[in-house]
Amino acid sequence: MANREKSNVGAERRHVETEIPRNWIVTRLDDLISWARRGSLWPMPFGTACCAIEMMATAASKYDMARYGMERLAYTPRQADVLIVAGRVPYKIAPVMRRIWDQMPQPKWCISMGACASTGGVFDNYTMVQGIDTVVPVDVYVPGCPPRPEGLLYALLMIQEKIKGESIADLRSREEDPERAGKPHLPAEEVELIAGPFGNSTFQNRVSGLESSSPILRPGDRKE
Amino acid sequence: MKRVAVGTVERADIKELRTRFGDAIRGVELDAARDPVVYIDASRSVEILSYLRGSQGYDMLKDVTGLDLGGGRPIQVVYQLWSTEQARPLRIKAEVPADRPKLGSVFGVWRASNWLEREVYDMFGVSFEGHPDLRRILMPENYEEGYPLRKDFPLRGRFTRAEQTRRALAMGLEDVYSLQELAVVEGGAGDGGRAVEAEADLSGVTAGAVKPGSAEQQEMAGLATRHMILNIGPQHPATHGVLRLVVELDGETIVKCTPHIGYLHSGFEKLGEYREWNQNIPLTDRMDYLAPMMYNIGYALAVEKLLGLEVTPRCKVIRLICCELNRILSHLIWIGTTALDIGAFTPFLYTFQERERIYNLHEAYAGARMTTSVSRIGGMMADVPPGWLDAVRDFVETFPQTLLETERLLTENSIWIGRTQGVGVIGPEDAINVGACGPNLRASGVPYDVRRERPYLDYETYDFDIPVGRYGDTYDRYLVRMEEMRQSLRILEQALERVPDGPINVDDPRVILPPKSQVMNSIDGMIAHFKLVMEGLKVPAGEVWYSIESSKGELGFYLVADGGPKPVRCRYRTPSFINMSTLPYLVEGELIADIIAVNASIDIVLGEIDR
Repeated sequence: MANREKSNVGAERRHVETEIPRNWIVTRLDDLISWARRGSLWPMPFGTACCAIEMMATAASKYDMARYGMERLAYTPRQADVLIVAGRVPYKIAPVMRRIWDQMPQPKWCISMGACASTGGVFDNYTMVQGIDTVVPVDVYVPGCPPRPEGLLYALLMIQEKIKGESIADLRSREEDPERAGKPHLPAEEVELIAGPFGNSTFQNRVSGLESSSPILRPGDRKE
Repeated sequence: MKRVAVGTVERADIKELRTRFGDAIRGVELDAARDPVVYIDASRSVEILSYLRGSQGYDMLKDVTGLDLGGGRPIQVVYQLWSTEQARPLRIKAEVPADRPKLGSVFGVWRASNWLEREVYDMFGVSFEGHPDLRRILMPENYEEGYPLRKDFPLRGRFTRAEQTRRALAMGLEDVYSLQELAVVEGGAGDGGRAVEAEADLSGVTAGAVKPGSAEQQEMAGLATRHMILNIGPQHPATHGVLRLVVELDGETIVKCTPHIGYLHSGFEKLGEYREWNQNIPLTDRMDYLAPMMYNIGYALAVEKLLGLEVTPRCKVIRLICCELNRILSHLIWIGTTALDIGAFTPFLYTFQERERIYNLHEAYAGARMTTSVSRIGGMMADVPPGWLDAVRDFVETFPQTLLETERLLTENSIWIGRTQGVGVIGPEDAINVGACGPNLRASGVPYDVRRERPYLDYETYDFDIPVGRYGDTYDRYLVRMEEMRQSLRILEQALERVPDGPINVDDPRVILPPKSQVMNSIDGMIAHFKLVMEGLKVPAGEVWYSIESSKGELGFYLVADGGPKPVRCRYRTPSFINMSTLPYLVEGELIADIIAVNASIDIVLGEIDR
């Protein structure tokens, strides 16, 4: 190339520069890597309850998740890219989920499938994590109780969209502090903020010792 | 509840109980289903219960649960018994003081009480003396907030959410997987002296300390051998959810299996006390999401029994169609996943295709694929849409073909036979004793089916058979479920022939919302609507035990009402919970590879095990 540049005149040089030999593609490295990543996502199914059945339906014959490159469900976190938390997550299983997340290598993404995983759902009680984003970072939330398989597929496509926008030069979102492993994802005050009763949370009544927010009283609750 | 004087209940067994134990029988009541409830002296409970088991033939312990009425009143421990011979129920209640609740364990009488008593200990703090392994079962073992089902326990727990999250994550997994915990032996604490090595994955055990096993083991008695502890789960594709199995292995033979549950404990029973009667229906289908309509309908039937309400003839038949469709739905996923666990992938795809067809029926009726919430107290959420019954008929006509195809893949498949025949065997008496229910019990040769024993939804008027196994192994459990699907089709055919016209809901403004035309146009309708919405459905004080045959076994509802719009106690006796507790009896002595097949064959769903 260098020799030809010296010997040839300007018009030919321009010709050489624009001609691309066959079987070559010029692209940005970011585009290439994100194309490869989003076309071969390996989901790690962390299915606990009802949503897990819809996740199975997504993988089964009618919906067939493999169409989008999720051919292989990785049952080991060491070989997975996307953690799909499908179903309710009680406090008892939370450390297990966190450990699985910590075990997954970067780059990794997380889908919170269903109302219970995203917010605790109807289970605003003593045992349920009020949204898994207090424990692990979440990329896509899928609403529904349970979401339809189309919903989960859409979430996976959104993960693919997200990968499109990522750059390998920008490592900020991918940095992990080993000290943070096994710790809550959010600070205590934010956990309180997120997990507090809201909306249609089950009301307390007087029997529980807390202030009643419900107009209905039990006959047995009446103070004589 | 009407308290009946002792002696007026005309049943020979209760009279005999009275004459034999005298003052230890504190009282007899009849519940809303006219079943007797006997209050006994807590200090003599084991004696009385052993007598009932030994001399009165109450061989089946269906449920042990607690009942806290609040206000420092004593905690009642409730035993639900059943005599398979005489086909009659008996409920025993023992009252223990709330501050120091103590009771004798009946583990020696019924093995089924093992997990049930642990649950009462976990939820109410009642300690059962003589129980071999009294640990928390649903909550983490280091749970410090108290006993969740006590009335003084707040719904959201005692700690703040941040503290709960911090504590949960601070629980190092090494604490959870400690070898000391693994060394707990079911059935006796005699192995307490066993040396456990701190850092190795093996507990050092010499062959001399092993329970008597095979002949090879006896020969090797001179050699020092070690048992390996293998942990499966809680996140494992073959455990059908978040279940953890700890197995102690001698070579490839399972010496001991300890299931750990509670990883999906969702507090259904606590939530049930905070919600109105009808509001509990959406919770019930999240318990068993494989057969949701069955749970909706079972709960509605139980509350209707408390109310003394009879639903319309059309509603009964529609409910029965929903129940049988869901039995097929649940058995289909059972076959698909069990075959998947054993290594056959094709049945999974076949059965999921059929499941999609039932999901379409769900969707056409209720609008949801899985969490249907289809029933209401006094009826259904709506009448079935036009053409729905024809779609069910179409399914009933075409489904046998897929069933046949699936059966052709498996029934005479030599791999399938090799993996299932003679594996996980349990005999009829043992099966009753350990509490197996549903198809698992019937596979062992016990023809117990709630649809026959205590018919509901007019099951007695339908012509169907109860398939019963002969050997009680995994293969029989498979055959029983395949045959049950055929019988369900038979029932569906008959039901589709007889769907009567008429209203789907009872005509009772205290229970069912009046139609919108009445609400808008008449003052009566508006008042009825207003009262039902604002005050809720009032259920008269009383209690009831009502059970239906779900796809997994006997699903019992023990509901206690005090006249208000919410239940006082909402106990769900879920079949998978009891079936799961039978797993150690099935797999001990088998090979490690068989634990997956046996665990799959008992058809568990973690949502209802952990509730």
